[in-house]
Amino acid sequence: MQCDFCDSKATVFFTQIIDGNSKKTNLCDACAASQGVTDPEGFLLPSIDFPVSGSKSEVKDDLPEAPPAPVMDGKTCCPDCGFAFDDLKKTGRLGCSGCYQFFREEIKHNLAGMHKGTSHTGRVPEGMVEAFQTRQRLEALNKEMDDAVSAEDYEKAAQLRDQISQIEEKLLTPDT
Amino acid sequence: MMRFSTLLKHAADWMTGADADSAIVLTSRIRLARNVVGAPFPGWARKQERTELLGSLRETIESLPNMKEAFSQELSALSSVQKQVLVERHLISREQAARGEGSATVVNRSQTLSVMINEEDHLRLQSIRSGLHLREAYDLIASVDMELEQKLPYAFDHELGYLTACPTNLGTGLRASAMLHLPGLVISDHIGQVIQAVGKLGLAVRGIFGEGTESLGHLFQISNQSTLGESEDDIINRLERVIKKVRDHERNARLKLIEDDPQMVADKIARAYGLLKYAYVIDSKEALTHLSLIRLGSDMECFPNETIQLCDTLLMDIEPAHLQHQAGRKLSPEERDTNRAKIIRDRLHSLPIPDIGFIN
Ligand SMILES: [Zn+2]
Ligand SMILES: [Zn+2]
Repeated sequence: MQCDFCDSKATVFFTQIIDGNSKKTNLCDACAASQGVTDPEGFLLPSIDFPVSGSKSEVKDDLPEAPPAPVMDGKTCCPDCGFAFDDLKKTGRLGCSGCYQFFREEIKHNLAGMHKGTSHTGRVPEGMVEAFQTRQRLEALNKEMDDAVSAEDYEKAAQLRDQISQIEEKLLTPDT
Repeated sequence: MMRFSTLLKHAADWMTGADADSAIVLTSRIRLARNVVGAPFPGWARKQERTELLGSLRETIESLPNMKEAFSQELSALSSVQKQVLVERHLISREQAARGEGSATVVNRSQTLSVMINEEDHLRLQSIRSGLHLREAYDLIASVDMELEQKLPYAFDHELGYLTACPTNLGTGLRASAMLHLPGLVISDHIGQVIQAVGKLGLAVRGIFGEGTESLGHLFQISNQSTLGESEDDIINRLERVIKKVRDHERNARLKLIEDDPQMVADKIARAYGLLKYAYVIDSKEALTHLSLIRLGSDMECFPNETIQLCDTLLMDIEPAHLQHQAGRKLSPEERDTNRAKIIRDRLHSLPIPDIGFIN
């Protein structure tokens, strides 16, 4: 069998099962070492002693660097770091936390297949808890209001709308 | 500050702390990904930005009470063998080992807690425990995380949770995993079914397979895939539940093997013993395969109790960088194979002939 990455004979067969789909990769010793197949994060016990660790796996500083003068075309690049959304397809990584703000809709579009849900339900850093809860409450009220409208219960919808705008107003008033 | 040599002289707690249930679940690991606002992710930062951020993050990490007298080292100050040793010890990732300037690792004294600075994310907090102890590992990491959030402006979004360089880590930023030793399921040919079932639950199973169908060392890693839309507790509880099920399956498979074909099991264990004890040249695939059987034999009471721990320490010590670190120089693959065989012979020197109690 041939290595999936080059023409050499495959000697390592790496199987990953994710979401019930088995993905098999065939690699030669050299590619297995350079791909770090044991674990994408490099934590699987133990690594095989591939005969190349002296030469080819020599450590190098191969980090991609941001272009020295990012082209700031306000549409496709993150204003904070100059990252272009297309780069995500190449690197699988974003440029900075601001990218999530800027490319939010595009990123959200891709999340469903990746995760159990599309919004965070885990821990929240202290100091952000209150804001987080308020946001969740707003979401719940908005949904309730939509339901009320669908059910043509306009009185209830109006009440909910008032509640929502009250909370939103509070959010906009800076802390004293 | 701890030196590299000191770090290596001492085995990590999780390597020697083998308890009864680590016969099947070797280790539990929790990793949290965290970033700070206002700085590009390490992979997109310019060298200078990365180096500057490293300075301040490193100071913050070193000042944690948990990191008293820690090992703290910039990656660029380590040789390639030293980096590889840290990878083999699971203290840094392969990805971090490939990084040069502007990246550092801080490891606590007992090696239960390690922080990678400027790996894929600004911070990767990691804890490893022996056996199935995901909860304890998480508690340690969570306490460190809570201390850090007082000091660092974490990148957090009310919808997407903790923001990470890669969208696959969004939300909790939590990756929980366990390493399992499953020779019973492999030998009895039930591993495929079990892996399929675990995969259907949205968890990832990884193993290394050599030539043929037998996995190397019969070792498998199970971890969560999804980090968004589930709480930390949900993730850990689900994983733990599944791992316990797999552990039960493995237990049953071992019992059934002894019942159905004790001669075959005895033959495998005794041959592995003979081979490891008398080999002068052994590559790591062969060594892993046979150590796995010694490990299985220990669980079947063919060897003294402490043999499992002996195997686990050996598994690490015969890895390429550990061999070279021990030799104090670069070794050719052929030299490694002879050094490996020698270390194994030495360590197993006083291991008694297998007592095959399950054959009357
Ligand atoms: Zn190849
Ligand atoms: Zn950005």
